[in-house]
Amino acid sequence: MTDETSKMTDTPNASQAKPKGAFDIGHLILEGRAFFALIAIIAVFSFLSPNYATVSNFLIMMNQSAIFGLLAVGMVLVILNGGIDLSVGSVLGLAGVFAGFLMQGVELQWAGVILYPPVWAVVVLTIGLGAFVGYVNGVLIAIFKVPAFVATLGSLYVARGVALLMTNGLTFNNLDGSPELGNTGFNWLGFNRLAGVPIGVWILITVATLAGLLLTRTAFGRWLYASGGNARAADLSGVPVKRVQITVYMLSGMCAAIAGLVLSSQLTSAGPNAGFTYELTAIAAVVVGGASLMGGRGTVRGTLLGTFVIVFLSAGLVITGVSFYWQTVFTGAVIVLAVMLNSIQYGGLGKRS
Amino acid sequence: MIKLTRRQALLTGVATAATTASMPFAASAQDGGFISVIVNDPANPYWFTEGEVAKATAEELGYSATVSAHRGDTNVESNLVDAAITNNAVAIILDPANADGSVGVVRKATDAGIPVFLVNAEINESGIAIGQLVSNNAQGAALGAIAWQEIVGEEAKFVEFYGNPADNNAATRSNGYNTVLSQYPGLEKVAEEVANWDRTQGYNKMQSIMQATPEFDAVISGNDEMALGAIAAMKEAGRLDGVTVGGFDGSPDAVEAIKAGEMAYTVLQPVAVFSREAVIQADHYIKNGSAMVSEEKQLFDCLLITPDNVGNYTAAFTLSG
Amino acid sequence: MTEAVLAARGISKQFGAVEALRNVNFDVHRGEVTTLFGENGAGKSTLMKILSGVHQPTSGQILLEGQPVRLTSTVDAANLGISIIHQELSLAPNMTVRDNIFMGREIMRRTGVDFAEEERQVRELMRDLEEDIDPRTLVEDLRLGQQQIVEIARALSVNANILIMDEPTSALSAAEVEVLFKVIRDLKARGVSIVYISHHLEEALTITDHAVVLRDGAMTAAAPRADIDLEWIVRNMVGENFDLGSPPQDHRMGAPALSIEGLTVPQESGTGRAVDALDLEVRAGEIVCIYGLMGAGRTELMECVAGRLPQASGAIRLHGRDVSRMTIAERIAAGLVLVPEDRQRDGLVQTMTVGRNLSLASIRDFTRGVFTDRTSEDEIIASSIKTVTVKTDGPDAPISSLSGGNQQKVVIGKMLATDPSVVLLDEPSRGIDVGAKAEVFRILAERASEGLAVVFTTSEVSECLSIAHRIIVMRRGKIAAEFSQDTTKEAIMTASGEAVVA
Repeated sequence: MTDETSKMTDTPNASQAKPKGAFDIGHLILEGRAFFALIAIIAVFSFLSPNYATVSNFLIMMNQSAIFGLLAVGMVLVILNGGIDLSVGSVLGLAGVFAGFLMQGVELQWAGVILYPPVWAVVVLTIGLGAFVGYVNGVLIAIFKVPAFVATLGSLYVARGVALLMTNGLTFNNLDGSPELGNTGFNWLGFNRLAGVPIGVWILITVATLAGLLLTRTAFGRWLYASGGNARAADLSGVPVKRVQITVYMLSGMCAAIAGLVLSSQLTSAGPNAGFTYELTAIAAVVVGGASLMGGRGTVRGTLLGTFVIVFLSAGLVITGVSFYWQTVFTGAVIVLAVMLNSIQYGGLGKRS
Repeated sequence: MIKLTRRQALLTGVATAATTASMPFAASAQDGGFISVIVNDPANPYWFTEGEVAKATAEELGYSATVSAHRGDTNVESNLVDAAITNNAVAIILDPANADGSVGVVRKATDAGIPVFLVNAEINESGIAIGQLVSNNAQGAALGAIAWQEIVGEEAKFVEFYGNPADNNAATRSNGYNTVLSQYPGLEKVAEEVANWDRTQGYNKMQSIMQATPEFDAVISGNDEMALGAIAAMKEAGRLDGVTVGGFDGSPDAVEAIKAGEMAYTVLQPVAVFSREAVIQADHYIKNGSAMVSEEKQLFDCLLITPDNVGNYTAAFTLSG
Repeated sequence: MTEAVLAARGISKQFGAVEALRNVNFDVHRGEVTTLFGENGAGKSTLMKILSGVHQPTSGQILLEGQPVRLTSTVDAANLGISIIHQELSLAPNMTVRDNIFMGREIMRRTGVDFAEEERQVRELMRDLEEDIDPRTLVEDLRLGQQQIVEIARALSVNANILIMDEPTSALSAAEVEVLFKVIRDLKARGVSIVYISHHLEEALTITDHAVVLRDGAMTAAAPRADIDLEWIVRNMVGENFDLGSPPQDHRMGAPALSIEGLTVPQESGTGRAVDALDLEVRAGEIVCIYGLMGAGRTELMECVAGRLPQASGAIRLHGRDVSRMTIAERIAAGLVLVPEDRQRDGLVQTMTVGRNLSLASIRDFTRGVFTDRTSEDEIIASSIKTVTVKTDGPDAPISSLSGGNQQKVVIGKMLATDPSVVLLDEPSRGIDVGAKAEVFRILAERASEGLAVVFTTSEVSECLSIAHRIIVMRRGKIAAEFSQDTTKEAIMTASGEAVVA
């Protein structure tokens, strides 16, 4: 019995017998396309501009990647689930404004006092707000069966509107806090460096590592891949499909809130229009990173590479002085190329019976 | 087609023929170094002129320059300033995205040792930028309001269009208008709408206003684009006759509207003047290490364009004679 | 013998690793009804799809009026006068009857579509079919049977010479079947050749002129109507020699493992009851087979017991404990699992590997604290591959690289890995080859002898008589009959309503 089985296992399946060699190289390039694209971008721009391949510029580009990277890591969780979260740009803006609002002090009318929450409380409350928006999205989608596109499009408008209402269209500028109120340190997120690397980058590394562990090493990660690949099969296998769905939108909202905190700290101001259309950049980064919009396929590593491709490309175009219009054209072309390669990869490997 | 023609006209108006595709690394052979010009959105002829004049002036003075656009996004603005720092720019000419939100990026550039000259809009903090060169919006608003009142008279119902509230100029201009107009009790404001400087929004808002407020005989607008949108809506509804419309900016489209008798006047912002001046001051600062004009905030007076002097409008945002 | 208007010669068809058809010869006789018999997965639908241009054969030839033809699309086939009514309805529910019938070949005038003419033709068709359906009704507002009529009307409207009907009566009422048969006789009189496929063997016998039997992708018998009877068909369909196993004998059945009392499940679409006050008790170590036609309520019963569908009333007890309020996950943890009917849709996650699919239902068993434990997961996967004998390159092979039978074993292995005490299998043998079928039944029999209670459904009579201790026949949501293992195929088919002319 055992012998027979192992023999069967050793016999290569007919459909698996593929020619080695040339095919494998093509396969490798296809699989690692985001990585090779990144190498190509760095090589081309280093050749075009002496200022591109410098340590300081890489740190700057990494710092710029932090914002989109945080959004994209949240987005990839949602996309793995077969969903989409259009609200992240608005949540980023709302989170910044909310943090700014808390930093200005919260006046309690009935008690006649103004509360100045310390920075750690501002951070926790702001991330909580992001989780709340995500929770509302998740409940709308999982329980009330509103299509993800529509539900998060709705929150895109609502979150942006609330941000504008909170500030009356203006921008919070005074985020420094003051020592006597005990709420200083907000700028640390965006301006300080640890071992020469900006804090925003450290935050991205931490969040991405946690998300990567979540996806590869926890039951939740497996549930997420399964329910994104085939929700019905996952459901019948005992996966709490709805809970997974709600959770990914909450995680996406939290990532967007963290991005909002980092951005407003970097800019030392919180404007209600921050993050306008960033959800599209985040989706682009996820797609360039090789994830399938149908769900079930994608990794955090790929998403980070996708983010770097987009940010390094646009930074390179700015540094070499290519006009703004051409930058838009190039970015669009990269996204379309990535989606096309996705179709080739998944269409070519998947077989229908 | 029309757009193309206008763009060509704009280009010829710029002092030197500027080659749009020139890149800083290609032009780094020029001695002076690299000046980064960052404007809001070159799709708008006002900012297009601002960028192109600055660039042409810089090249005239022996610098290489590029124009880039932040389109009102402070994060993009920050990334563009990063790129300027990376490219070792000798100066940055910046039209700030946000009075509060751009303070951080100006500080970042200054900390990196690059002098920043702000044009067109201010930031709410002084002592960081070397110069803030802006139109005298209060003077311009008063100029416009007085002209408007003279045409409208002392009794009228009117509509006001208000720009993007995040932009200080919106409030400055509106205050300027209202300071003058409030002295005439017969002038009644029947509607005030925020149209974010945008022509489409001006058009839509005017359509709504015509539904809600059947009677009005004058419009005063925070800029030309919103006024032109309102004119288009009224023209479509057959309501333009007898309505006085006043704009602000002095854009080529507004000038056309004045020639066509659709707009009564516009207030010309001297964008070509202060944009050129900013680069000259930057040149002075680079060469001498001190500011050419000691005052940081410099106001440039606006001019009135009416059917009488519209013939003197020789190039985009330029009134000669 | 009449001449063959359409003939297939040496047709073979492969889907990946699965051989759906092997060297099949098939004749369609002019002006007569040729019926194709065969079990599910025998290759009937595949053959019809090749004849109608949906699929292309891997090898072999198609002759029309003696001339070889290549059918590369349904349009090709339609142009040659071959039309097909598919088993699955292919109507657009959001459009009217008229628009569906003329979909893709609208009658055009200079000013646009000639709706009046289309409507007139539809009314005429409906008159012929004796069905009172207004051409401007939306298809979604029609009963399933009426939708089937619309599908037939569409096939008729192209004036086909050869009409292929794949299970046209499965959704029709008795009266509608009568009308359809009258239409078929009219068509024959007009010289139209008809290929007919049906599970209702006796019903098919009343209309057919020639019978062809397929088994496991190969043609086993062909004869004119005069020479055959029901017994001949069943014998050729099922085969006499292949053994799907026998019920395990050498163990004693234990206490009741699963008991269902008065279970009622509403129809998913519309009103009515899919399962109607059904009682069933299954003991540990017992293998129960549920037989029934399409729509008898088997799937609804299975999915309700597994927790996928809510019940209207009744109780489900597992070892005496009520599980009817539990979630699917809780029922799995309690030891009650389902292997669903449609493995592509409900069983497998196509984006994951063989190993990940196998371990999907037992993730909780190898999660230590926050993280999953790779070593114990690998152990679970390795032992599952061994116990259900999956033929694969390894746990990391993509699931789509497996043949249908091996994919089914993965789904079964996934559920068995949770160490259940009751396993429900909905059509476990659907679309897999005979060898895999036998292996699946061997695995089930083995586990039953260790005390597992097994309930499986099938629409193939021969399978009822293989490993089951007890055979339940379902009909319209109720238990129509119950047999022990020494019954006959005919008795089962009679009880299900299959062997009775409607």
